[in-house]
Amino acid sequence: MNILIPDSWLREHLLTKATPEQIKKYLSLAGPSVERLKKVEGDYVYDIEVTTNRVDAMSVRGIAREAAAILPRFGVRAKLKPLSLTRPRAAKTTASFKVEENAKLEKRMMGVVIDNIKNRETPGTMKRRLELSGIRPLNAIVDITNCVMLETGHPTHAFDYDKIARNKFRVRESKKGEKITTLNGKTHSLPAGAIVFEDANGSIVDLPGIMGTKNSVVDHKTKRVLFFIDNNDPVRIRKTSMALGIRTLAAILNEKGVDPELAETALFRGIELYQKICGGVLASKIYDYYPKKYKAKNVSVEKNLIDMVIGAELPKSDISKYLSALEFSPDWSSKSLRVTVPSFRAYDINIPEDIIEEVARIYGYHNLPSVVPSGFLPPIKSILTFESKVRSTLKELGGVEVMTLSFADRSMVNESAVPLKNPMGKDTKYIRTSLRPSLTKALKGNSGWVGPIHMFELAHVYQKTKRLPNEILTLGGIFRDYDYREAKGIVEEVLVALNIKKGLDELGTFEVLSSNTFYYELDMESLYKLYSPISSYSEIPQFPPQVEDITAELANVSIVDVIKTLEKEKFVSWVELTDVYKTSYTFRVWYQHPKKTLTDKEVTKIRAKLVTALQRKFGGGVK
Amino acid sequence: MREDIVSLRTQAVARITEAENASELEQVRAEYLGRNGSLTLLFKNIASLSGHEKRQVGTLINETKSTVERELGRKRQDVSIKPEIDTTLPGIKPQRGHTHLISQTIEEIEQIFHSIGFVRMRYPEIDWDYYAFEALGFDQYHPARDEWETFLVEQKPDPQMGPIVLTPHTSNGQVREMIRRKSPPIRMINIGKAYRRQSDATHYPMFHQFEGLLVDKKISIAHLKGTLDYFVKQFFGEDRVTRIRPYNFPFTEPSFEVDVSCNVCEGAGKMSNEPCKICKEGWLEIGGAGMVHPNVLRHGEIDPKKYSGFAFGWGVERVAMMKPGINIPDIRVLYSTDLRYLTQF
Repeated sequence: MNILIPDSWLREHLLTKATPEQIKKYLSLAGPSVERLKKVEGDYVYDIEVTTNRVDAMSVRGIAREAAAILPRFGVRAKLKPLSLTRPRAAKTTASFKVEENAKLEKRMMGVVIDNIKNRETPGTMKRRLELSGIRPLNAIVDITNCVMLETGHPTHAFDYDKIARNKFRVRESKKGEKITTLNGKTHSLPAGAIVFEDANGSIVDLPGIMGTKNSVVDHKTKRVLFFIDNNDPVRIRKTSMALGIRTLAAILNEKGVDPELAETALFRGIELYQKICGGVLASKIYDYYPKKYKAKNVSVEKNLIDMVIGAELPKSDISKYLSALEFSPDWSSKSLRVTVPSFRAYDINIPEDIIEEVARIYGYHNLPSVVPSGFLPPIKSILTFESKVRSTLKELGGVEVMTLSFADRSMVNESAVPLKNPMGKDTKYIRTSLRPSLTKALKGNSGWVGPIHMFELAHVYQKTKRLPNEILTLGGIFRDYDYREAKGIVEEVLVALNIKKGLDELGTFEVLSSNTFYYELDMESLYKLYSPISSYSEIPQFPPQVEDITAELANVSIVDVIKTLEKEKFVSWVELTDVYKTSYTFRVWYQHPKKTLTDKEVTKIRAKLVTALQRKFGGGVK
Repeated sequence: MREDIVSLRTQAVARITEAENASELEQVRAEYLGRNGSLTLLFKNIASLSGHEKRQVGTLINETKSTVERELGRKRQDVSIKPEIDTTLPGIKPQRGHTHLISQTIEEIEQIFHSIGFVRMRYPEIDWDYYAFEALGFDQYHPARDEWETFLVEQKPDPQMGPIVLTPHTSNGQVREMIRRKSPPIRMINIGKAYRRQSDATHYPMFHQFEGLLVDKKISIAHLKGTLDYFVKQFFGEDRVTRIRPYNFPFTEPSFEVDVSCNVCEGAGKMSNEPCKICKEGWLEIGGAGMVHPNVLRHGEIDPKKYSGFAFGWGVERVAMMKPGINIPDIRVLYSTDLRYLTQF
């Protein structure tokens, strides 16, 4: 996810003379990636991509911490400024509140009532910073909650204290279909299992961690604010936020697991701002529900593993320095390193490799050598080279390859089709069982094309089974404005080029879709089994053949079979269909003896056998 | 008659030798070999001859005919004979076939990696959740695993392997390859289709990825860098450089994002003081990479104490579109079936 951070705000937490350009460049190389640096009036804005595991860096403070660790590695001095937040003095309670807690849903909750609030327009600097950070300023009460979130990284919320019935609420799971109206005026029907706060009247007064509700929202009349921080179950936040399509910054942070230790910082910072900007006065004790307190976490790693993964040897003292800058506490005992992980990295750091990553990135990936691995060369032999041969043969023969989506409508597939649980649309519910619908559609899309078309595709089609579906690599192709025999000849020639001895009729289909469109489909696996990558030489005959035409009257027979039968005759080397007129078929016959020139007499004898075969087997009369 | 034929032959050969241009040559051809040419007419006359003579004369005419044809052919190749061809005419182009740009890219990728010992493999494009997510360390609630991002097959999940998914990446091949090879060294490049629930100018619900995996003794980040550099220079050009930045993936640790220097602004990020429209600050993101997570090795029955490795998975479409000069603005164009597009490559 990307966050926008104004340079001036960053420098409130970071002491450095680095230029914005330097910060952009060096952060990107060793930490979160600064995708853009934008110059605005009187300031700069960093557009930073922070990976989902680094929710700790999704704030001004978090980025300042990274920069303080990274910049010195590039020779620029930098220091993280300490946060000078003090625990507010205990107040005399004039406005109390009660929460019925739920340890399954909440990891930590903190809150305080602030009285005497003057809700006003937010002062210029803060307003400008919010705008530069991509957040629309509304009024001081709301803006402070956003300001605290952007600065510390923990989302916060402000209720109008007087809108919560009897000043108490209960944390519970939603029931499916419960209705809420969020503070932007939109009504939502909740899924089951969302976290909600319900007040004494039974009204839902918040969708915590995602968005407030309209019935408890602050307005210009608000005098008392319940400033509240909830650290929720991230999985429920993600589910609810996705189901409702409410993707607020708060939800995006909360679903990644914000550090509960941060709640206090956020609360104190918020109190400070309410006092300063709205003239607020504390009116309650500070509420803190924290059922499972954070316990320090340690990860150990061996020095030789660090060196092996990085591909370079680093001194122990350097390793310690890099880790300390990130607020890890390293502790060496000989070649073993034990590291105490800071709370804000507890989700992210679990194994030795996680520590190595921190060391390696601060050391600088750009400082590592670049080496092409040496070693063995593995064997190669697969259907994939065959596939490429098929593709190039089709290309040689004028085919144009297409690639189309594997999804299909129900009407386009057979009963063995694999259905999807979550298709993007009704017409993409199934995985195709043949390439024919895709190719027919592709052909239709080219109706304006002048001239003959031959398009083909090589792709998997699928058949449902009880386990994984059968994945069938299929060759499909479609012809338009080709002569039937020419089109078929192209597919037959592919088989010849692959040294496949079987005929097209035995291996696949060649269908007539209309008078000028033809479709073929072949199973690649079966072709592969018959394929021979090597063409063998057959001796060129030294004696000339005798060639003559035979015309036969034939009806309702397969001409391919006729030719095959004629070619079986001894000393007949080749038979070709040269002419068709109504039911008259003219075959050109090559008579060839490998060792001599056949005499007229010998040819006559062979011809007689051919004529007999035509008559007996195919009922054909020969002229 | 025989003498007639012989003199005809002498005559014809002489005239061919003397001919000065193509039209004269053509005239000679017509006079002797044309439909009413002298030699053609002689053929018609042999019907009147007796059997023995017929054969002899026939042979002679045939020989004469071949002589004349041979001499004609020889003379036509003579450079001094100017052909009467309008050389300003354009050529007539034959119909040429085309393989798909994506196929061409895949073959190129395959060859580059082959030259440094990576063997191309292919693994199921519809696979168990186990190989696509679980074995790679995606936790149960990882966003990639939910129904908004990954296509699921409507079928009862298997108790061990989980549901069946349309693989959202080619990384499902990692553990499968480890198990197939049984023990390192492993060097594979798995190229295949992947699916994600998305559709816009840079995303299509179906796309192709290539997944490199190398597992061996003492493999470091330096080896990953070397491999990526080699590919980038071969594929994009010698002048392009790469960098790796920290990133996060469940199945690699450390994880990287790999960038290639922009060819348009030459890495400056700016062109005449305007931000470059192609890249981000001089760099183009090419894809993810990382050192194989020890848990992934364990799922592949490889001891992470003995072996380490790296992996990367990049989009075929992405690298194709990044190639200088290809100029395809939108991934959906790449998948168009319009012949006016397909025949350009």
